[in-house]
Amino acid sequence: MALISPEDQEALKKLFGEKLTDDVNITYFTQHESPLIVPGHHECSYCKETGEILEEVTSLSDKLHLIVKDFVKDEKEAEQMDITRIPAYTMQGKNKGKVRFFGLPAGYEFSTLLQSIIDVSTGETQLSQKSKEALNKVEQNLQVQVFVTPT
Amino acid sequence: MAVENEHVTADVVEVSEFVELAQRYNVQGVPKTVVNDTVEFVGALPEPRFVQQVLQAAEKKEKK
Repeated sequence: MALISPEDQEALKKLFGEKLTDDVNITYFTQHESPLIVPGHHECSYCKETGEILEEVTSLSDKLHLIVKDFVKDEKEAEQMDITRIPAYTMQGKNKGKVRFFGLPAGYEFSTLLQSIIDVSTGETQLSQKSKEALNKVEQNLQVQVFVTPT
Repeated sequence: MAVENEHVTADVVEVSEFVELAQRYNVQGVPKTVVNDTVEFVGALPEPRFVQQVLQAAEKKEKK
């Protein structure tokens, strides 16, 4: 069964149709579920659900593309994006910096996911002109980590 | 912010799945924002304040 209801799928199709201007690649790092239970090995708790949500969301617009990578096998790509834990996904479109998500995009995080897709597609943000100007002056690397819960 | 500037990495971390990280940054309330391990604040700030806080981390780095 789909995680996103048919009504919501229709609403999202409409939203993406109106708002998305450029293609967005979402690279998702996951792991394959092992049929074996290995002591000391941590199964990725929400990889399956995260993958399903991303698949459903990206199927709602032809501008959205999902690239699935294996955290272990595609170690080099994970390293390039500095992905050290999963589930994780990154977005590439008209964004200049890196946009990364760690964990299942449920609850409020689902709307963060949608807004990020739109921002990355258009390259436009809702930041004020003053903030944009201040940000343009930044020449050193800044890692902004926002810790959230789904509720 | 990461859309606007190539030097910015924006991470969203779900705390219940990454408890270890939440403990490292002593996350007791959400949303909690940590910039370059030097600036941190809890709660949703109005946009100008948020940007100002993040830029503080850039200034701190410059001073070193």
